[in-house]
Amino acid sequence: MATDIVPSQPSLWPYILPTVLVLGACTLYPIASVLWMSLHDWTWGGASVFSGLKNYKLLWLKGSFAIALVNTVIFATCAVLVELVLGMILALAANRVSAGAGVFRVLMILPLMVSGIAVSLVWKVLLDPTFGVINAILGGAGLPEPNWLGSPSTAMASLVMVETWWQTGFVFIILAAALKSLPEEPFEAARLEGASGWQTFRYLTLPMLRPFIVTVVVFRLIDTLKVFDLVFGLTGGGPLRATEAVQTLTYQTAFKFSKFGEAAAIVVIFSALIFAICAAYGVLDRRAGGAE
Amino acid sequence: MTRARRETILSYAILILAGLLSLFPILWIIGISLKTQADAFAMPPRLIFEPIWDHYAKVWSDSTFIEGFLNSLFAAILGNLLAFAIGIPAAFALNQRRVPGRAAILAWLLLSYMLPEFLFIIPMYGLFQATGLYDTVFGLALVYQTFTLPFTIWMMRAFFADVPFALYEAARLEGAQSWQILFRVYLPMALAGIAATAILNTIRIWNELAIALGLTFDRAQTVTVAVAAYRGYASIDWGALSAAAITSILPMLIFAVLAQRQIVGGLSLGAVK
Repeated sequence: MATDIVPSQPSLWPYILPTVLVLGACTLYPIASVLWMSLHDWTWGGASVFSGLKNYKLLWLKGSFAIALVNTVIFATCAVLVELVLGMILALAANRVSAGAGVFRVLMILPLMVSGIAVSLVWKVLLDPTFGVINAILGGAGLPEPNWLGSPSTAMASLVMVETWWQTGFVFIILAAALKSLPEEPFEAARLEGASGWQTFRYLTLPMLRPFIVTVVVFRLIDTLKVFDLVFGLTGGGPLRATEAVQTLTYQTAFKFSKFGEAAAIVVIFSALIFAICAAYGVLDRRAGGAE
Repeated sequence: MTRARRETILSYAILILAGLLSLFPILWIIGISLKTQADAFAMPPRLIFEPIWDHYAKVWSDSTFIEGFLNSLFAAILGNLLAFAIGIPAAFALNQRRVPGRAAILAWLLLSYMLPEFLFIIPMYGLFQATGLYDTVFGLALVYQTFTLPFTIWMMRAFFADVPFALYEAARLEGAQSWQILFRVYLPMALAGIAATAILNTIRIWNELAIALGLTFDRAQTVTVAVAAYRGYASIDWGALSAAAITSILPMLIFAVLAQRQIVGGLSLGAVK
């Protein structure tokens, strides 16, 4: 084959072709399709009429997309920050102990094994304002008993809390593995120089972990921006839209109200956002790799 | 060395607390799934009670739930088979630097893994209705390739990269074809990697909700969709709700205990390598 550099070795393209075909069918077709749908007035079985940017304008005028987008960004930012801090503390702690590390690791990955919908049901019961065990404990200690998921002022924080319980283990596992992969000599030297724990962390551990932190933050950020299961299972977007997320709004718009054009417009904007984050990460990652 | 000692004690305290917080919600719900209605709603909550199995009997006789359980199992098997059949050759080829367009394909895979579910659901809803793939496990397994295929290729490429290149060259010199090298040299050395990848794919498929909700109706409903139907019980029947949640996650919890090393290794592989 002409593209082959070493003539004695056969081309490997046949090995990749099925992947390229499946990827094309699974990504290029949907992208083209939602772009087309977002520019048309469209109902099932009916004729489709080109409507220009009408669907996008509707999103803007109705305002529900803006609310969902702001909610989603707040949810993702808070959840990733909390998960990162907690995951880092746990990874540093696990790095210091020898006995019981295996048991602890199993405990930390247990929530990761649970589906988002099961997590939602579990926490709906735990956070029940009247019969839930958490308010029973708080009440027993004389503390206030919030209406966790039922009040617009606490619903978002409750979602972040549940998400943190669910996914901190992922951050922990990555950072713990990253810590183990670091060379020992710089830490030995820091100890001999009499560096404090904080100094060692701030000037040694943190800079060395940086590429891993970037990766873990990007993965968690995109995953939390795509939040669906928790909102669907815990609040349904309420109360008063306080927890409506982009993907739950998309689901409602398409499957409850059958407005596929508008849903497609949401998907186009949201996918562009995810794409931009991926592209930025690609640039960042290359720079991080080049600096080493 | 008092500082070191204090830090070790603090570390243990943090880990024990985190471990208990991780475990408590699951244990509590197991408790509720074994309580009578009166015990479940008792205030203050009862720690000691007479366990009953009625809620599990109810959930296990719910045919929608059992079908969902089996559909998820089939979707996981089919999704894995597709991902490995398509992904292993690609991983083998992408492991070698001389493939043209390698960087672009790897970036494309990552993007496919990251894009939002509804980008796939909304167009596929129409396409699947037209082609008869709507509400079928096969259709689900196909759409699941948007994340299982990239993940499988990503993982297998990392495992193939660990195979010494000298083995490849030796096989080449003996006149072996590429596919022979893949099957006789690379695959046997990456069996552990295949196991880890299959476990993580299975967890991901088993727990998937949005795509299953959008692209199935009643015949191919998955276990997560069946569990979602118990949401309505949140204020009435905690026992059934808890038994459904626990039953649905039990296979994955057993996985976590038995395959802890593979899961932890697999999850960290992508980020650390």
